[in-house]
Amino acid sequence: MSGPFRLGPPADGGGAIDRSRSLAFRFEGRRLTGYPGDTLASALLANGVRLVGRSFKYHRPRGVFTAGSEEPSALVELRSGAHREPNTRATVAELFDGLEAFGQNYRGSLRFDLLAANDLLAPFLSAGFYYKTFMWPKSFWEKVYEPAIRASAGLGRLSGAADPDSYDKGFLHCDLLVIGAGPAGLAAALAAGRSGARVILADEDFVMGGRLNAETHEVGGRAGAAWAAAAVRELASMDRVRLLPRTTAVGAWDHGVYAALERRTDHLADAGGKPRQVLWRIYSRRAILAAGATERPIAFGGNDRPGAMLAGAVRAYANRFAVAGGRRVGLFVNNDDGWRTAADLAAKGVEVAAVIDVRDRAPLADLPGARIRMGERVAATWGRGGVKGVELATGERIALDCLAVSGGWNPNVHLTCHQGGKPAWRDDIAAFVPGGRLPPGMAVAGAAGGALTTAAALAEGHAAAAAALGDLGIAAATGDPPGASDEAVEVSPFWHVRESRGRAWLDLQNDVTVKDVVQAHREGFRSVEHLKRYTTLGMATDQGKTANVGALAVMAEQTGKTIAETGTTVFRPPYTPVPIAAFAGRARGRDFQPTRLTPSHDWAAARGAVFIEAGLWLRAQWFPRPGETHWRQSVDREVLQTRASVGICDVTTLGKIDIQGRDAAEFLNRVYANGFAKLPVGKVRYGLMLREDGICYDDGTTARLGENRFVMTTTTANAVLVFRNLEFARQCLWPGLDVHLISVTEQWAQFAVAGPYSRELLGRIVDPHHNISNEAFPFMACAEVSVCGGTPARLFRISFSGELAYEVAVPARYGESLMGALLAAGEDYGAVAYGTEALGVMRVEKGHAAGPELIGQTTARMLGMQRMVSKKKDCIGNVLSERPEMNREDGLELMGFRPVDRADELAPGAHFLAPGAEATMANDEGWMSSVAWSPSLGHSIGLGFIRNGHARIGETVRAWDAVRGRDVPVEIVSAHFLDPQGERLRG
Amino acid sequence: MADVALEARLPLGGYAETFGSVSLAEVTGLTLVSAAVPNGGDAAFAVALAGGFGAARPATGGSTAGDRYGARILGMQPDQLFILFEPPDPDRAAETVSDALGPAAYVTDQSDGWAMLRIAGAGVRAALERLCMLDLDAAAFPEGRVTRTVMEHLSVVILRDGPDSFLLLTPRSSARSFLHAVEVSIANTAG
Amino acid sequence: MIIDHPLLGPRDAAEFVILGDASLIDRPDWQAEDAAQQFHDYLHLRDNPAGEHRELWFHEQGDRSWLVVTRNTLTHEVLKVELARDVAVARGRDR
Repeated sequence: MSGPFRLGPPADGGGAIDRSRSLAFRFEGRRLTGYPGDTLASALLANGVRLVGRSFKYHRPRGVFTAGSEEPSALVELRSGAHREPNTRATVAELFDGLEAFGQNYRGSLRFDLLAANDLLAPFLSAGFYYKTFMWPKSFWEKVYEPAIRASAGLGRLSGAADPDSYDKGFLHCDLLVIGAGPAGLAAALAAGRSGARVILADEDFVMGGRLNAETHEVGGRAGAAWAAAAVRELASMDRVRLLPRTTAVGAWDHGVYAALERRTDHLADAGGKPRQVLWRIYSRRAILAAGATERPIAFGGNDRPGAMLAGAVRAYANRFAVAGGRRVGLFVNNDDGWRTAADLAAKGVEVAAVIDVRDRAPLADLPGARIRMGERVAATWGRGGVKGVELATGERIALDCLAVSGGWNPNVHLTCHQGGKPAWRDDIAAFVPGGRLPPGMAVAGAAGGALTTAAALAEGHAAAAAALGDLGIAAATGDPPGASDEAVEVSPFWHVRESRGRAWLDLQNDVTVKDVVQAHREGFRSVEHLKRYTTLGMATDQGKTANVGALAVMAEQTGKTIAETGTTVFRPPYTPVPIAAFAGRARGRDFQPTRLTPSHDWAAARGAVFIEAGLWLRAQWFPRPGETHWRQSVDREVLQTRASVGICDVTTLGKIDIQGRDAAEFLNRVYANGFAKLPVGKVRYGLMLREDGICYDDGTTARLGENRFVMTTTTANAVLVFRNLEFARQCLWPGLDVHLISVTEQWAQFAVAGPYSRELLGRIVDPHHNISNEAFPFMACAEVSVCGGTPARLFRISFSGELAYEVAVPARYGESLMGALLAAGEDYGAVAYGTEALGVMRVEKGHAAGPELIGQTTARMLGMQRMVSKKKDCIGNVLSERPEMNREDGLELMGFRPVDRADELAPGAHFLAPGAEATMANDEGWMSSVAWSPSLGHSIGLGFIRNGHARIGETVRAWDAVRGRDVPVEIVSAHFLDPQGERLRG
Repeated sequence: MADVALEARLPLGGYAETFGSVSLAEVTGLTLVSAAVPNGGDAAFAVALAGGFGAARPATGGSTAGDRYGARILGMQPDQLFILFEPPDPDRAAETVSDALGPAAYVTDQSDGWAMLRIAGAGVRAALERLCMLDLDAAAFPEGRVTRTVMEHLSVVILRDGPDSFLLLTPRSSARSFLHAVEVSIANTAG
Repeated sequence: MIIDHPLLGPRDAAEFVILGDASLIDRPDWQAEDAAQQFHDYLHLRDNPAGEHRELWFHEQGDRSWLVVTRNTLTHEVLKVELARDVAVARGRDR
C-alpha cells in the first residue's frame, strides 16, 4: 500500500490506479511513493501530506482543496533546475517515476515559514492595502515598499534559466468539437462518431470520463467509469474521431475557432526530445461545450486550513484514487450532492464524523455513528497546520481531520462568454448558466449548461450531437443514449456563515476574505469589476473558479440586490493558464522568423562577410580582408576601390515585378507619379511612387523589355506593399485595363557592377554578340542578353553609386556562380565585392534619397522632384500632392551638409538650428536624415531636410544632437557631393 | 573573356531524407512557368492550352494534367496559372511555354523563384498539422487540389499529388528556413 | 476569423491583409472641378458603423484576389464575400 491514507482494494477494484507498480517521487525532498493513475495531489494525500504550500499574501498554510484544474491552493514547483515550473496545480499533475516537487511561497521551511508573521499583520493588509498603506514617503515605493512586498508576496519561483523544453503549435479541423469527456461529452462524441462525422474530443484530464470516474453512478447498467472506458475504446477505434486527452480547450474565437493546449509529455520523466506541449488551433463547424461544473465552497472562519476540501473532491479521491481525505471526515453542505460523499466514504469504511447541513429538513441518509446536524452551520475550524476539528455556530465542537464542504455546483460557462455572452442566473440550481448568446456554432450539454444529473448529461450530450449533425447535413446513426438514474441535486443557496468571527476565505489563492468584500463595498467599490480589481478577487492563476460566485453573493447581500442583478465579471481566455512558451511554440531563437538568403550568400559567407538583417533578408554588410580590424577600413576600401576601379554588390533583395499586358504602359503611367507611357522598349526609367495623399512612399526603376512587358524594381523594404497596392489598382480601380503581375524577386539574381571599369568587366562576361558600348548601350538602356556562353541574362545600365554602372541579372540558380565569375573576370582590375554599408556610403555621396529620407512625410518637392509629378495625367497621389502646404516655397528641401570643421563627425537625427538660436521647437529648421564618412572626400557628410535649403547653399547652421550631446556647425551644400553633373554615369 | 560556363545550383542542393514513415525530398527536373490570361482571352487560352499542353484549364484552386512535357497546370489566381513541367531545355523554359501558348498568355519564368519539396508517407498528415492551417482531409483537399497558403510566415504553394503525398513550393531565398520548419514538424510528430 | 472565399472556400484570416472601407474602390475623377475636396473625402472620411460594414481584404497568401467582405462589426459575423473586381465593375469602374 502506498501511503497510510490509501484505501485497501475492495472487491470492486478500488479506483483507477494501477497497484501493480509503484512510482517513487519526492516532495520537499522527502521520498514518497504513489501509483500510476495518481495525481501529485492524490499521492500526497495518500501519504498523509496535508501542508502543500503557503498562501500568496498571508503565508497561511494551505493544502489540497479540489481534485481538478480549479485548484486554488495546492500550487507547487514541479521538476528541478531549468525545467522547474512554478504554480503547477498538484491536482492535475500526473504522477510519474522520479517526479520532484516543492511547496512554494515560503522562507525557511514549508512547515516553519519565517514569513508566516505576515498573517499577524492581516489587519493592515486588507483589501486595497497597497493603495493606502505605502503612500508616504513617495520615494519609498520603489526603493523599500515594492521590493519588500515582492519578496514576501507572490507565488512560485521561475528557474531563471532558459526553458530547455520545446513546444509546438498546430492546426486541426473537424465537423464537431466536443469539449469535455464526461457523460455529456462522451454521449455526444459517440453519437457523432457513430454517424461518421469528423469529431475531436478534448478533455483536460489524462483519463477521459469526467465525474464518472469520481462517482459511483451506474450508466447503462454498469459502473460509470467502466462505461466511460468502453466508450473511449469505441471512439478510439473510429477513423474520423480524434481523442485529445490532457488537452484543455482554453478559448473560443470567431467562426468556430478554438484554442486548445495539449500537454504531451508533462506526465513523462523524459520528453524524448518531443515538444512538451502543443497549442492547437481547432477549426470546428460545430462545437459542444460539455465542460461540466465546478463545486464551490461555503465561507466560514478558518475554512482555508489544510484538511478543508470540497466534498466532490473528497469523493473523487476516495472513488478514483482510493485515497481517504482523512481518518474522521465531516461534511458541511447546503445541497443533496454533498451527502453522496458521506455515503461513498462510509461504504469504503472511512469514518464519517458528522454531516452539518444548513437546510432545516430531514437527513438524506442514515449514517450510523455520525453526528447529523440539520439547519446548522460550521463557524470555525481549529488545528495548527491542518484541521483538527470544527466548531458549529451553536458552539458544539466536533473533532475531525477532514472537512468536506459543498456549497453547490457552478456550471463551467467560461467558453460560452468568450464571444461576449453573459451568463444568466438560475434560481433552481443557485448558479449561473450560459446566457442567450453563445459563440456561433456552439451548443452546451450536461452540467456546463446546468443539467446536473448523469442521466440529463447523457441525454443532452446525445441530443446536442444529433442537432449538430442535423445542421451539418450528416445523417445521424440510430440509437439512444444509455440510461442512468437521476440523482437528487436539490440545493439551497448559502454562501457564508455570519456567526464566524475568524476570517472566512473566499479566494484562497489571492487571500481574499468575506470581510474584504464587505470593506470594498463600504469604500464604494460596488460594481463587480471594481470589486474584483480592488480586492484582487479572482485575479490569481485560478481566476477565482471556486471563489467568484461566493464573492458576488456577499456583494449582492451588501448592496441589497440579487445575484442576478449583481452579475459576473467577464470571462476571458484562457480558461486555465497557458505557458507563455506554449504561445511562442517553436518560434524561438533561430526559429523566431525565417531567414531569406541572397543567391551569393554562401559565396559571401565563405569569404568572411559580415551580415546584417534587412527585414527577413541577411545581406553582406562588408567583406573584411586580413589585417582590417575596424569595419570602416573595410567599407572605405570597398568604396574607394569601386570608385577607382570596379565593385560588385548583390542587389537581389530589391523587389522585382513582372508586368505584362496590352495596357501595362498605361497602368505604370498611373501608379508612378512621373510619365511612363512613352518609355521606349530597351530603356529604363526612374519612377517615383506616391500614396494617394501625395506623399512619396517608394521609388525604383522600371525597364521596358517589350511593347507589353515591363519589369519594375521596388525598394527591398516595400516589395510586398508595392505588389499589394498594384494588385489593388488593377483589380479595384481599373479592372478594365489588361495588365497582369507576378513577382520575380526570387527568380532573378541581380548584381550591381559599378565603377569606371564596369563596362570592361562586363565585356568579359556578356556574350560577345551583344554590343554594350557606350553608344549602343547608353545610360538607362536595358536588354535581354546572354552571359558566360549562353546563360540567359538581363542587363540594365543604371547607377545607384553615381559611377558608370550596370545591373546584371541571371536566373537565380546561376547567381552564386555569376558572383564568382564577375570577381574572377575583374581580378586584374582589382574588382571588389562590396556590401550594404559601402552601398549606403556611395548613395549618400551621390545624394540619393533612401529609407531614412522616405519616412511617410516626404513630398516630391522635398526631394527636389516636384517637376517629375506629371500634372497632365491621372496617377495615384497626383491630386492631393498639389495641396498648398506640401508645396510651400519655404518648405523643407533635401540638401547636403558638411562639417565646417572637417574633423567633426555628423550624426543622423540631429536638428538644424541657426547659430546662437535656442533649441526650441519654434527654432527647429529641419533634421539630418543620413550621414556617412566619405572616404572619397575624407570627411563626414550628411543628407538632411532644411527649410528653403537651395536658397541657402553656403550658409552655416548647427546640427544640434540632444541625444549624443553634440552641437556641430555645418555648411549647407548640394546633396550631390560627387559628380553633380552626372558625367561619370554617362561615361 | 570568361570562358567558364555558369554552374546551376539547386535551392536545397538536391536534399533527400527519410524519417520513419515520412520522406522529404527536393524535386528536381521540373520547372515552373506562369501564364496569365489576357482580359477577354479565356476562350483563346483554353484552345491554346489544349493545343500546347493537351490540358484543360483548371479552376482556381484546382489542377489538371496535360499530355505533353509531363505537365500539370495549377490554377493559382483567377487570371493566372502555373505550368509545372519537364522542360526540354531548362534555360528556355519560358520560351517552351510561349511557343506552346502563343499570344494567348503572358508568360513569366518562375522556375528559379521556388524550391520544390515533396513530402510523402504515412506520417505526412501528422507532420503537416504542425505547419499548415488548411484542412488537408481528403474530402476537403483531394488529389489535384492546389493553393497558396502560409506556413511559418512563409508563402507556400501546396499541391496534393497522392493520397499521402504533397508537393510544397516555397520561395527560393527562404527555402532553407522552410526546410528546417518541415524537418522540425516531422521530428516532432515521428514515431 | 474565417473568410469564406468565393473561389476557394473558407480560409483563415491569417492569410489575408485588411485594407479598410470598401468605399476605397470609388476613387474620384481627377479632373472633377472639386477634385481636391473629393479626394480628401475619399481618403479621409470613413463611416465606422456598429453593425454591417463592407471591407476590402487582400488574399495575399492565397489567390491574390482583393475581396469585399461584408461583416458585422458587433457580432463579427461574415455576411457576404465577393471578388472586389466584380464589385468594382458593377460600380462602373473600367479603365
